[in-house]
This record gives sequence, structure tokens and C-alpha cells, in this order.
Amino acid sequence: MRALIEPATPVVSLLRQATTSRNDIPEPSPYLWQHSRRRRQRWAVEAMDSQKAAVTITSSVVPAGGKSLSKENKLWGGRFEESVTDAVERFSESISFDKALYKQDIRGSRAHATMLAAQGLITTSDRDSILNGLDVIERTIEAGDFVWRTDREDVHMNIEAALTDMIGEPAKKLHTARSRNDQVVTDLRLWCRDAIDSILFHIKKLQVVLVYLAMRNEGLIVPGYTHLQRAQPVLLQHLLLSYVEQLERDAGRFIDCKNRLNFCPLGACALAGTGLPIDRFMTSDALGFTAPLRNSIDAVSDRDFVLEFLSASSIAAIHLSRLGEEWVLWASEEFGFLVPSDSVSTGSSIMPQKKNPDPMELVRGKSARVVGDLITVLVLCKGLPQAYNRDLQEDKEPLFDSVKTIMGMLEVTAEFAQNITFNHERIQRALPAGHLDATTLADYLVKKGVPFRTSHDIVGRCVAFCLSKDCQLSDLSLDELTAIDPVFEKDVYEFVGVNNSVSKFCSYGSTGSACVSEQLSYWVSKLGISTDASE
Amino acid sequence: MLAAQNEAIEAGDFVWRTDREDVHMNIEAALTDMIGEPAKKLHTARSRNDQVVTDLRLWCRDAIDSILFHIKKLQVVLVYLAMRNEGLIVPGYTHLQRAQPVLLQHLLLSYVEQLERDAGRFIDCENRLNFCPLGACALAGTGLPIDRFMTSDALGFTAPLRNSIDAVSDRDFVLEFLSASSIAAIHLSRLGEEWVLWASEEFGFLVPSDSVSTGSSIMPQKKNPDPMELVRGKSARVVGDLITVLVLCKGLPQAYNRDLQEDKEPLFDSVKTIMGMLEVTAEFAQNITFNHERIQRALPLGIWMQQPSPITLLRRTSHDIVGRCVAFCLSKDCQLSDLSLDELMAIDPVFEKDVYEFVGVNNSVSKFCSYGSTGSACVSEQLSYWVSKLGISTDASE
Repeated sequence: MRALIEPATPVVSLLRQATTSRNDIPEPSPYLWQHSRRRRQRWAVEAMDSQKAAVTITSSVVPAGGKSLSKENKLWGGRFEESVTDAVERFSESISFDKALYKQDIRGSRAHATMLAAQGLITTSDRDSILNGLDVIERTIEAGDFVWRTDREDVHMNIEAALTDMIGEPAKKLHTARSRNDQVVTDLRLWCRDAIDSILFHIKKLQVVLVYLAMRNEGLIVPGYTHLQRAQPVLLQHLLLSYVEQLERDAGRFIDCKNRLNFCPLGACALAGTGLPIDRFMTSDALGFTAPLRNSIDAVSDRDFVLEFLSASSIAAIHLSRLGEEWVLWASEEFGFLVPSDSVSTGSSIMPQKKNPDPMELVRGKSARVVGDLITVLVLCKGLPQAYNRDLQEDKEPLFDSVKTIMGMLEVTAEFAQNITFNHERIQRALPAGHLDATTLADYLVKKGVPFRTSHDIVGRCVAFCLSKDCQLSDLSLDELTAIDPVFEKDVYEFVGVNNSVSKFCSYGSTGSACVSEQLSYWVSKLGISTDASE
Repeated sequence: MLAAQNEAIEAGDFVWRTDREDVHMNIEAALTDMIGEPAKKLHTARSRNDQVVTDLRLWCRDAIDSILFHIKKLQVVLVYLAMRNEGLIVPGYTHLQRAQPVLLQHLLLSYVEQLERDAGRFIDCENRLNFCPLGACALAGTGLPIDRFMTSDALGFTAPLRNSIDAVSDRDFVLEFLSASSIAAIHLSRLGEEWVLWASEEFGFLVPSDSVSTGSSIMPQKKNPDPMELVRGKSARVVGDLITVLVLCKGLPQAYNRDLQEDKEPLFDSVKTIMGMLEVTAEFAQNITFNHERIQRALPLGIWMQQPSPITLLRRTSHDIVGRCVAFCLSKDCQLSDLSLDELMAIDPVFEKDVYEFVGVNNSVSKFCSYGSTGSACVSEQLSYWVSKLGISTDASE
């Protein structure tokens, strides 16, 4: 900051030299700050014109790119002798993305102005002017007519300057006992709160869609996989409900995040609070926060709520990527278990036969950008000293991107799920392959008193025998079975075959029909689903 | 017999065999070697799929308890440090530029707040993971008449998991644990950065004792705050561990896939690292002194900005007026408090002689009074809150 003073010396000498050739320019006073910045700039440029050959101008006085003299003074520019260069302004601006916070910024300003008036720090008429002005600005923004200016840097300065243009002096009182440090993080917390509510709504919607899908495919048995090898037969309903469980925990993480972030930073000002008699509890209540944050330095410097939000989004995104993978596999010719309708498929520009489940591929793929957004902010925050640092403005774009992405993923997955049919016939035909009933057969032997390890071994030998004969376990005769181990009896046939297999499951949370029925009832009730509406 | 095995492992006498693949098979095979037939019944109505994820949840639960203990310990240490440095004013920074004077206590308590939220995240994670997978078997449950509620209770879980496929395939509790650890690690990296800066010659605000410093093999004068540099640096591996498991899980179909065994090493590494970071930070904090004299001497530099109190002044105009005062000070190379009343009134006639109550660092700090501010009374209140919450005995403060 001190360096800004030094260029004054070349300017002074410039001006002094200039006066020898242009006597109508007054000798600048020793106190440069007494003159407006615009006048000094004009002198500098005029002097430069007349002294171009003789004087070396440092770029800090007149930047190489040139300066527009029409730039207004920055609202923070009191001690500054010159404005920032264009390149710096472009690099530093955040208005291109933080205007997304306009609603929250205006809401925060309304609450702040109301509190200032209640505390006697501004008059009620000033407050009213401010509130009316903010209403007009909000309507203008929503109509798409507001002109966002890069030289006004960010959403806060844009709105405040616009308010000043509109109502004059009262607007200059709005920022009393406030800094952009506490203002921006208040806006961000409000934005996150609203975003989480939207995400929770979409999570619930997807859960409902999956439950409906389950209800419409009652009794359908599909292969359950481990290592992508056919493992055991499961009810499709049971598989779909496993995703509903995961989404429930995702919702829980978002709710915990929302509760933890719901504390108000306003009144922390730059980092230390203020000596003015503000009422932080009033503003906090007005904005729907649980309470004001207890420590002003913490209030302005921490972005852990952003990290937590992004973490929750990343985990949810990973869950959806796994569902995406599964449905892309199931839509393939080799699996052929599900058929997306045309409304959720795309073709190929070259291969006429193609019908691709692109939406779910994109759900799978977009999980990467959510993870990337999380990493961005983790790396951003690492090693940043207290309290506020400009780096932190970089928290918004990844956050906004992650929310847009996760909402898209949730919406599209729900839409896809409402536009697929399961290929019952193809699945039935495929089911016998893979000896999915093997474990159930092992359980049969356990019930006969054979230690599990031994029964695992016996059934393994039965499967090997089937492979050599290219048949199913249910095709083996009782003699063939007893030749492998004498413990088999004729009731064994109640335990082989896929349908029998599924019906034997009975442990809590298993794929047995009764258990799955119970799970479904739990979710129908929890999600408030009307069972008459099921198609 | 399992108890005997436990003892053997803890004594370091157990022979782990690679050909037995994993901990589950090793222990079961050793048991079979020891007791024969009965051991072969242990795996009835169980798969390694539900077994491993049950083990992992139990491990995570214990790990979280340890981490919570260390977080609390660090909070206590920071509160003691605050209590031992009452009244010390330090520069508060934004953009690493001197912003406003703050009580050191206030700054230390901001870290205590962050640690409290970290603890909250670990607690939420622990509550969410505390459901029992046992009985899900491979993925579908079993036909044998097991009692999942009994095992769940015996292992201290809240209840058995409701869906067997979910139970064996999901590792979101690992991701959540790693996320909480990453956020805590980032917090500690920020404290590391601050104390490394403060220990530098240029800042000179804190002096670590020899017991938490290291030297240079070549430069005899060196005294480096390595522990905090490592706290800052090790945050990277915790973040890396989180990314590992995120990438691991991405796009994995149901239910169990062998990829998932790769979840453990990053998880174990992250826990070891975060615990080390917490412990060492606490140790460092107990072995530093703040250089009161150096800080006092340095404080006047930086032209402290405090809002002029006359509330009749328009905020924006007052910002501008004070900005011009600052520029004037810079040209004279003096402090705001050195300006005469005439000089101030030449800038703006609104100044009166009570302005001197508002300039100067000590005056500046004493004027803060908003809830949560750095004003002495407010900080006193914060301290009392933490002393009470953390159960700190004030007689024991050094």
C-alpha cells in the first residue's frame, strides 16, 4: 500500500515540469489528497502529453493499457491516489458470478437498515428511502434491466452504488457498522440455506419416484451382483430401496450442514466487530438465523460451511454416479434388463440403430465436477491465515456449479426413472444362469446341522458338477446330490431355483418378500406417498 | 478362543499369512487350527461383505471418539493460552494487511469455534454410521433364523441397517468421515500458516521453545517452527485421502466390488494424520510465548481504521474522510493519533477534541462493544462460555 505514495513523486515532478510550459495549470499543493483524483489524473495525462519525450512514466502512474478517465471513484478509495489497472480489475471482479447473490444481498441490507433505524443509527426516513430503493433495484434486476458494472467490482458495490444513484445521501448510511467481509458471508449463508432446501426437495422427489418404480414392479426378481458376478437373486424392489436409503443419509448430511451454517455473521464487520450500538440479535432473527456467530474473526474468515456443503454434495453425487453406472449397464444389449423410453434416450449421428441412455451417463459423469468443486475449495482454503483474504471470493463459482450440477443430476435421475421399463421377460430368461440359488442351498445344509464351511464346500462341488453338465442345481437328481453328500434329502427342492431362493430369505432387511413389503410400507409412510396414486 | 487370539495379536505373536488374504480369513483359519470343527460354524449366516463393513464401522466409531478427545484437548489448550495472555492486543489482518487491533484472546477463540464445528461434524458422522450391517450377509440377507437386533445391540449400534444391499455396498460413512477430517485439517493448516508467519523474524510475534523447534544442518542460527509447518503440510494428505475414496466409489455398481477394499488405507492414513496434527498443535501451543514487547512496538504501524463515532456522519463519507487522513499520515510518516486537531479539522471540520479517545490502538480496542467483537467485555464473556463448556478449572490456569 505504501508503494502507491511513491508514484506521487514522479507526478509531482511531472506537474512541476509541466508548469514551466503550461502556466495555466496551478502549482499543486503539497497535500495531493486535497485534490480530487480526477483532477490529478487529468494533470498527469496533460503533463505527459507535453513532456512525452522527456519524462519516463512508470506504469503505476499511467498504466500501459491506458486508463479510462470516466471510471468512478471506488467506494473504498478514500486514501487511494489512483485507480486499479484494467487488467487487475478484470482479474479481480466477481460481479460476473456473485450477482447470483443479489436477492440475499438485498435481504441482508433490508434487515441491516431496519436494525440501524431501530437502534437510532439512521433515521426512519432514511431507512424507508433505503428500503424503497432496494425494492426498486430488486424488481429491476428481476426484470433483467439492471446494468451490472465491472468497475463496481461485485454485487454489494453494484447495489449500493445503484441505490446511491437513486436516493442519494441516505444510501451512504447503509454500510454503517458493516463490511463486505461480514456482508458477503451472510449473503452466502442465506444462499446456501435456500439451495439446501431445494436439494432436499429434489432428493425427496427422487426417493418417491424410486418407491413408485418399486411398487410398479412387485415380485420381479433380478440378479444381485458382487464383483459384477451374479451373486444371489434379489427382488428389484429391494435393490431400488437400497438407493432410497442412501439418498436418506444424503439428505441427513444436508440437513446437518444447514443447521450448522445457520448462524449470522452480520455485525462482525471487517473482523473485530464494531463500537457502534448495533443489535446483532435483531438482524439475526430477521434473517431467520438461529443466533449471531459468537466470534467476529471466525465469522468473517471461515468457509467450513461451504466445504461441508460441497462434501455432502460430493457424496450424493457419488451415490448417483453408482446408480448411473448400474442403469447404463442394465440398458446394454448384454444385460438388456431395462429399456429407456425415447424421451430419455439419444441417438447417434452416424449409427442409425443406436439408442443411448445418455442422461444416466451424464449423471455418472457430472459427479466428477462436483468432486472437483469440492477439491477447489479445499485447496483454496488450505493455509490461509486469518481473517479474510481475497482468495475467498473464489469460493462461489465452485459452490454455485456444484449446486446446479447436483440439482440437475437429481432431477434427471428422477425423470429417467419415470421413463424406463424393466424387461421382465429378458430378466426371467437370464435368471437361471449363475447359480444364484447356491447360497440358499448352503443354508439348507446348515439347517441340517452341517457346519457352514463344510456346506459351502459341498455346494461348491455341486456347482462344479452342474458346470460340467451345463445344467442348473434344480436339474440335479436326488441320487446325484446324495452322491456328493448323503445329507441331502428330497426337501432340498424347496431350496433350489430362483423363486424358492428368494422366498427363503427372512432376516430383517433381507430380500425376502415379507421383509421387502415391510421396507416399502416404511417408505410409503415416511414419504407420505398415496398408494391409490401408484400407476 | 477368540480372546486367546486377541491376546496373541496384541503381544505381537500372531503370524499373519498373505495366503490367507485378509484379517477375516486369517483369524478364522487360525481359530480352525486351534479348535477344529466348531470354528467352521462361525461364518454361518455371514459373509465377508457384511463382516468387513461392520468391522470398519466399529473402527470408525472408536477413531472418532479419539479424534473428539483430541479436538477437545486442543480447545482447552487454546483457551489456557488465551487466559495466560489476557489484555494482549495484536494486529488483526485481512488480506494480510493490518486491519484492526484485536485481543489475542479473541483470535485464539476463533479457532476454538472452528474446532467446535469440526467436532459437530464428527459427532453427526458417528451417529449416522452407527447402524449395524451384520446379517446382510453377501447382499441379500439370509434364510437362517438370525437375530440382527441382538448382534446390533451387543455391538453398541443404534439398530440394524434396514436394507441388506445398502448395508454391504455403501461406503458413504467413510466419505463423510474423510470429509470431516479434511475440513478439520484445513482449519489446522490455517492455524499452522498463521503461527509460522508469526514466528518469522519479520513478524516476530511468537517464540516457540526449543522443545517444539528444529535447527538446520547447515545454518547454525536457525530455529524453525517445523511442527506447525508439518501441521500445515499434512493437511494435503488428508485431502488426498478423501479424493482417493471419492474417486474409488465413483461409478461403482451395486453391491460389493473388490475395489472397495481400497477404502481402508486412505481412511487409516487420514485418521493417523489428523490425530497427529491435533496432538502436535496442542503441544506446540503449550510451548510458545508471545513476544509482548515486540508486538507492542509493532502495533502503532499500519494506521488503524476505526469508524469515527459521530453517528451523524454518513458512513460512506466518513470512510472517505478517514481515508484522506490516512493518506496524510502516510505523507507525514506518522500515526493518526499524532495529527493535531487543526490538521484534522483542515481535512474535515466535523472533528472535535474527543476524537483522541478513538485513535490509538488501545482506545481502538476498547471502543468495540458489539456481540462477538474484540471488546474486552465481549471477549471476557466468550472466555467464560468456553471455560464453562470445556469444564476448565480456572485455578489450574498457569
